[in-house]
Amino acid sequence: MSGIDVDLAVNGLITGVFYALMAIGLSLIFGILKIVNFAHGEFYMVGAYAYTLIALALGVPVWIALPLAFVVGALLGWLTERTLMRPLYAGYTSWGLMRDEYAVIVTFGLSLFLINFVDKVIGPYAYRGPPLVETSRVVLGPVLISGHRLLAAGIAIAVIAVTAALIKWSFWGQQIRAVSQNRLGASLAGIDTAKASVIVFMLSGGLAAFAGALLSPVINASPDVGIFPAIKSYIIVVLGGMGSVPGAIIASLFLGVIESFGAVYISFQYRDAFGLILLMLFLLFRPQGLFGEKGREV
Amino acid sequence: MAGLLRRDMLGVALTVAAIMLPVAGAQAADPIKVGVTITQSPPGSVVQGTQVKDGLEVAAKIINDAGGVDGRKIELVIEDTQGLPEKARAAVEKLATRDKVVAITGEHQSSAALAGIEVAHRYKIPYINTNGWSDVIREKGYPEVFNPGNYNSRVGAAAAATMKELGVKRVVSIAENTDYGIGLAKAIGEALKKIAPDVQYKYETLDRASKDFLPAILPMRANAPDAIINLMLPPAAYIMMNQLYEQGVAPSAKTWLYDGSGLADYPDFWQNVKEAGKGMLVFGLYHPKMAQPALGKQVGEAYTAKTKNEPNRLLFQAADSLFLIADAIKRAKSTDSEALIKALGETKYTGTRGEITFSKDKGYAFNQWLDVPYVTFQLTEVNQKVGDSALVSQAGQPLDPAKLWKPAK
Amino acid sequence: MAPSSATSPAGNRSGAQLSNTKTTVEFRAALVAMAIVALIPLGVSNPYWLGVLIVSMYFAILAGAWNLLAGYTGQFSLAPATFAMIGAYTTGLLNHYFGVPPLLGIVAAVVVSGLVGLLLGRAVLRLVGPYLALTTLSFAEIMRLVASNSIDITRGDLGLGVAGLLDSRIGWYYLFLGALVVLLILFYMLLRSKAGLFLQAIRDDEVAARRAGVNVVFWKTTAFAISAAASGFAGALYAHFAELVTPELGLIGQTGLIVSMTVIGGMGTLAGPVVAAFMVYVLSEWLRDVGGYQLVVFAALVVIFARFFREGLWGLARAAVQRWGRA
Repeated sequence: MSGIDVDLAVNGLITGVFYALMAIGLSLIFGILKIVNFAHGEFYMVGAYAYTLIALALGVPVWIALPLAFVVGALLGWLTERTLMRPLYAGYTSWGLMRDEYAVIVTFGLSLFLINFVDKVIGPYAYRGPPLVETSRVVLGPVLISGHRLLAAGIAIAVIAVTAALIKWSFWGQQIRAVSQNRLGASLAGIDTAKASVIVFMLSGGLAAFAGALLSPVINASPDVGIFPAIKSYIIVVLGGMGSVPGAIIASLFLGVIESFGAVYISFQYRDAFGLILLMLFLLFRPQGLFGEKGREV
Repeated sequence: MAGLLRRDMLGVALTVAAIMLPVAGAQAADPIKVGVTITQSPPGSVVQGTQVKDGLEVAAKIINDAGGVDGRKIELVIEDTQGLPEKARAAVEKLATRDKVVAITGEHQSSAALAGIEVAHRYKIPYINTNGWSDVIREKGYPEVFNPGNYNSRVGAAAAATMKELGVKRVVSIAENTDYGIGLAKAIGEALKKIAPDVQYKYETLDRASKDFLPAILPMRANAPDAIINLMLPPAAYIMMNQLYEQGVAPSAKTWLYDGSGLADYPDFWQNVKEAGKGMLVFGLYHPKMAQPALGKQVGEAYTAKTKNEPNRLLFQAADSLFLIADAIKRAKSTDSEALIKALGETKYTGTRGEITFSKDKGYAFNQWLDVPYVTFQLTEVNQKVGDSALVSQAGQPLDPAKLWKPAK
Repeated sequence: MAPSSATSPAGNRSGAQLSNTKTTVEFRAALVAMAIVALIPLGVSNPYWLGVLIVSMYFAILAGAWNLLAGYTGQFSLAPATFAMIGAYTTGLLNHYFGVPPLLGIVAAVVVSGLVGLLLGRAVLRLVGPYLALTTLSFAEIMRLVASNSIDITRGDLGLGVAGLLDSRIGWYYLFLGALVVLLILFYMLLRSKAGLFLQAIRDDEVAARRAGVNVVFWKTTAFAISAAASGFAGALYAHFAELVTPELGLIGQTGLIVSMTVIGGMGTLAGPVVAAFMVYVLSEWLRDVGGYQLVVFAALVVIFARFFREGLWGLARAAVQRWGRA
């Protein structure tokens, strides 16, 4: 491994950590409602704006603005769930007749709405979020990285770990896992599936918004900034096995590294196509994802 | 059933009639309507669009306050192109057919201008290209299209001359994947071949929609060139510059960073790049220490009064575009396109940047003001205003190496 | 006229008959709407508004084609704009590099986009709901990335200049209108035939349809190919109308507009999406003048319609007419 390969690997892994933060929420929603939220990228976008505007316009310290972005995202997730997702589980018996199309249209419409609403209300300008630290260059052995990127990656890892632990061990985490494994069984066992769904949407919105806030000093907030994390998240959720959180984390790191090396050794121009091609191949030939049925557990 | 059907049809008829209502538009003929196509929303550069808009409005106010053109006021009809060729095409089409403007100007992105001039050519409407640098716009040879702004061959020659004067051996251009970026990257290569054939030169094209350029930058770190030329526009340019700096590639003790795309006077420049901009050499079309005609001073002051911002190059280019149209209408004593195009061709007008005339040579020089003035300056501090930067080469003068600043090792 | 016709179970004979009458009513309404559109140039000669209506017709074809696939067959593809882009580039590249005349290029565009549609349709056969949406979305993004990054061939984001076809605005107007009407007639014939019943049976319950002996593979792929070919046709026409082909034709936002028109008009109704295409596009041109809120409004309408009025404007109009009839 030459010097550049170490760089590519480290940078790919860091990118992968950010991807994981974006994708976990999408995966959780798929797990519990069996839908893809096409407005997921807009949760990210709203978080990027929330952080940037709260910190820059209101002068709130970045360390307070960052969790506030999570809160804003969680509120948006709550609102989305309450107003639009109810028909999806209003009565489990009609589940078989549920039209997947409803979920696609409604979330797709919500995505278009949020992008254009922000474009009109806040304006089309890009805003760069304030970095958490001003140090612009940190030397880590052979690797150079900006202070913010390093710190953001650390925070992202911590948040991912806490989220994974909550889902694995907390009371509501267990309920959520039960619902995604067997919705009917869970509801028969007295689990409040509606509440589980609300919690998942709030967590999902919060995490995506948090990712948007963390990355806003690197990728400036703009109305359409959510499109790219959304597409990466779709790829990851498919690669990791739809609905699986550990699968999503591993798939994120995998995608980050593949893109990093692929951009140098195959083609920079088509970097964004690699993941999409993987997504299509997986859906067509291996819909259970990288890790098979086992990976589908939440 | 039949009754239902009839009512269905009535419903449809009413709906269609409702759709058609806005078709009946109003028309007022008195003011002179000038069409403007600019970027007011992404993915194009909104910052540029706003500067052009301000420049045109300042010029329109100056003309109108002085009584207009032969007693008729100038009215700007502004359309958003989002920097997209398809939208620009539709915008010019709308201005020409719906608003019936006498001329079109304002365009500041080459790809949008290239789409727009096709329509202007079809309708034979004068088109003043405010800031499309691509040589292809000129090479088309459309008699309706006039270019008082900068052009790629000019920047290519300027960048090559600066590279030669810096004495560098290996140069890499980072260009966005548009006519502007690729065209300029090639123009620099050709100019270098002519004046400094021993310089090794290559360019990389990057997708302007991309959010991460690290994979393109990392390979440069191991074997950094002596100079990197930026040919991207914001916001992609900012992300790219930050990553160049983060990776210690440029600006550094080994590698110069040269900007060929006019980043330094954007209001959001320093907010976005900070340290990464310190030491950047800039191809500058405007610098407060440049010599300027009286009209330039007047426009600059009016702009500062209006926006509280320092003047910038696009402001002057936009203002000149409109002054040229007004001047041509005066001389032609008509707003008829044919007469206007003829008058524009005979332009000899002292605008905000100097005396403008249009060359009739073929190729990149067609209908081009050849002597667009430029300087080279260097940003030596974070948050430095262009006016405080080091002017390392005056208009028409070679680079002064004594004034150069270089980051420590 | 029972509003339940759309939800009647597959294979139910009366449901099928009802569905046929319903389609006929919609078809006639669509023809009346087109007849009105045909008369507009008598009163409107401004080339700008004619241009707006021409683009509306382009979207009407796309919405109609997507509706055939999503509304009638239940295959929720997110790539309708992509097939228009493929059609546009087919004729654009042929014209740009080989000087192929536009008419021949348009035929080639129909064939190429139809074939690509056939292949994609075959590939995604077993995918449903979100899986299908994701796969087609990826396909759309890959195609757009290829179009905008293959600069040496497509000239990337700059767009490819192509030859025009007609000089007269009015000529284009009636060419597009003719194309739209012909496609409407073809769709109507298709839906009235056995094929139409099969498609809707597959949409309502694929397993039951297969059990009843419907060749699910064949009909699903066919619907995909027809929809793609029609979209490619629209894209190719548009290419010669605009004299410019860019990757923007395949943007997700364009697909968003097509989905909006179909949902607002009423999915699975023949007339709804076509009429809504005119309303949405003309209204959006008009809203552009009053602040550019068009996409905010339409996106909100999409969410509201999907949430509360599944049958779209068409369904609302029908309910209103029924109430009026009773009063």
